[in-house]
Amino acid sequence: MTSPAQPPGAHLPEHPDFLWDNPEPKASYDVVVVGGGGHGLATAYYLAKVHGITNVAVLEKGWLAGGNMARNTTIIRSNYLWDESSGIYEHSLKLWEGLEEDLGYPILFDQRGVLNLAHSLQDVRDSVRRVNANRLNGIDAEWVDPAGVKEICPIVNISPDVRYPVLGATYQPRAGIAKHDYVAWGYARAAHAMGVDLIQNCEVTGLETSGGRITAVQTSRGRIAAGKVALCAAGHSSVLAKMAGIRLPLASHPLQALVSELLEPVHPTVVMSNAVHVYVSQAHKGELVMGAGIDSYNGYGQRGSFHIIEQQMSAALELFPVFARAHLLRTWAGIVDVSPDASPIVGLTPVGGLYLNCGWGTGGFKATPGVGDCFAHTIAHDKPHPFNEPFTLERFTTGALVDEHGAAAVAH
Amino acid sequence: MRVVVVGAGPAGMAAARTAADAGAEVTMVDSEPDAGGQYLRGRARFEHSGVTHLKNVEAWLVEGDTLHLRGPRQLRFDALVIATGAYDRPLPFPGWDGPGVITAGAAQALAKQGVTLGERVIVSGTGPFLLPVATALQDLGATIVGVYEANSPARWLREPRAVLANRHKISELASYRKVLSRLETRTAVIAKHGSRVTVAKLDRHWRPVSHRTEHADLVCIGHGFLPRTDLVPNAKRTNDFLDVDERQQTSVEGVYAAGEVTGIGGADLAEAEGVVAGAAAAGLEPPAEVLDAVRRGRLFARALARAHAIQPGWRTWLSPDTTVCRCEKVSLEDLADATGMRELKLTSRVAMGRCQGRICARNASDLTGVPFDGQRRVIAVPIPLGELAELPEEES
Repeated sequence: MTSPAQPPGAHLPEHPDFLWDNPEPKASYDVVVVGGGGHGLATAYYLAKVHGITNVAVLEKGWLAGGNMARNTTIIRSNYLWDESSGIYEHSLKLWEGLEEDLGYPILFDQRGVLNLAHSLQDVRDSVRRVNANRLNGIDAEWVDPAGVKEICPIVNISPDVRYPVLGATYQPRAGIAKHDYVAWGYARAAHAMGVDLIQNCEVTGLETSGGRITAVQTSRGRIAAGKVALCAAGHSSVLAKMAGIRLPLASHPLQALVSELLEPVHPTVVMSNAVHVYVSQAHKGELVMGAGIDSYNGYGQRGSFHIIEQQMSAALELFPVFARAHLLRTWAGIVDVSPDASPIVGLTPVGGLYLNCGWGTGGFKATPGVGDCFAHTIAHDKPHPFNEPFTLERFTTGALVDEHGAAAVAH
Repeated sequence: MRVVVVGAGPAGMAAARTAADAGAEVTMVDSEPDAGGQYLRGRARFEHSGVTHLKNVEAWLVEGDTLHLRGPRQLRFDALVIATGAYDRPLPFPGWDGPGVITAGAAQALAKQGVTLGERVIVSGTGPFLLPVATALQDLGATIVGVYEANSPARWLREPRAVLANRHKISELASYRKVLSRLETRTAVIAKHGSRVTVAKLDRHWRPVSHRTEHADLVCIGHGFLPRTDLVPNAKRTNDFLDVDERQQTSVEGVYAAGEVTGIGGADLAEAEGVVAGAAAAGLEPPAEVLDAVRRGRLFARALARAHAIQPGWRTWLSPDTTVCRCEKVSLEDLADATGMRELKLTSRVAMGRCQGRICARNASDLTGVPFDGQRRVIAVPIPLGELAELPEEES
């Protein structure tokens, strides 16, 4: 038990080395989760915790949480337009709100609020519509005018004489950021404690099926028999699904981000702008974290083009002139896997016992607890959870799309 | 023909002059207020009617045929010469991150401006560079407590060809005679606490075999150099230094390299390489006698690299809490097993700070056995966000 005087996890060693071990893979598991990022770890955690399924392996070709989990800009919010999306993201946000206690591990979840700026009359109409839709779904959402934006985040330039003037913003006070590494380590530690095997440096090279059902995975560390296989490999899911003869409608793009040198606290919230492809927050340690728009070409390389960063910066500094003299320290890219309607694919596949979780685009980090919970439910019951029921693979043939291009906040 | 030379040390100046003499339109860019680089700091004059010398400006990105400079400003080129030199590689030991420990390069740069940071000084590391540093500090009135060379001079006996081909290097030793009496080989500073400095005798692997205490208020350390190759992250390299062909061209077409970026061989070799690179960049055949000088110098450079190589025993100097990365305060015990530099950085945050890994990344790689990836970044040096924002839109 954690005493009230101590924050969660205060008694834990600081280094992740001591939070889990590196077991040899066993010959078989009830469930094999492919991908040791946030989604894979969360799925394994909820499988063990909620459904009592602990004979589980998480296979990771590199190291835990070294992909997009290490590369995102850690923004958490649930103010998506459609009922389907706000359903799963709000479910996730509610889990975020109790996650530190649940995992017994500090994740630095900070509900500092998120502003989504509107720069045109069309933006304003779309934003107000989204605020109303959010409220009908019980999500905290407000429309704030430029003066309100200035009050929430004083360093935003609300002058009308700029290329993308701020005409207002939607504001979700419960939204915020968390420390991405800690989230992964918290899930990994808790899953490990319940008996889940976390197997790093283990790349899946083939999927075995028999009679339309998954039977095993072939890996760089040998064959592992599996009752069920759950794919949590983001953009690489299409490569994996192909091994079972399934073609996924996913396109993978580099999405860049950068951090500045450390600064005193100057930016109290998170500011996102769809029109100018930028989102900015200040991490707990003090560095500015900025995300850019996606590079339009497809690829799995974790680096993007320089001109994207350059264009993003000219837009960002119009909004935040105060950042002009902050030095850029690092740039990097993650890979966003985008589906045709900018909504994820979570659910069953034509192959029995093979489950799919991918296509999260820019929404993956914020969805981590929610999708972990729902995907674990889907795997345990061989039936989608109500929150991920709309996100089938079939929707791309039936036409029941969930078009979230607007609220995804970064153009896909 | 537009030739851009980055760096105004011996190699850069020679490249710029040669290319301009050959009729190229030459711009030489340097981050210092005067030409000369580290070697000729304050002692060089550079004037050439065919060369535009841009001073006090850092280059931070090569994008196709464009070099981006601070300002922001862009230079288009047909050929680029990288003559950016090298920086010190300090090895960590307990106390190396405290006051009174600086790199030998920093000590020399200050000495050339008439400044010494200490009165009782130790110079410790490996390589012939230690001697001029100690001499310069002594000339400023500092007491040289010791000059400690971690390798043994006997290693040079294995290099008769290199020594014979570069006999003039031996006479240079005479100019350091005042500090030669303070020289101890197979010796190194392995800890410093306040003014108490632990000096160890080393075996040939640099493992301490005995130690004693000396008192000094300044320890200058230099365990060799790392080349400054950030502008061409994708050029091929061997042991961190850029690979070049006999015309000094790197594996990137149109990008040449000269001087310490290709290997540590001294100012003569750097200048000869500069002449070759400048001629080749301007489209001329380099003079045969200079190509010869480069070949001779390379013999010496390779021998130097072998004779003064870092030996693995230095890793025993550290205690678990010794800082490896100063920017992010990462100590030896924080470095976990990792499969690559990315993983090492993400799990420990080593090399993620303001120095961008220049000081610590190579050492962290050696300490963990993780292969060094050469610190490949899109943007070579930290620049203000405002300059990125001011860049002109892409022409389309």
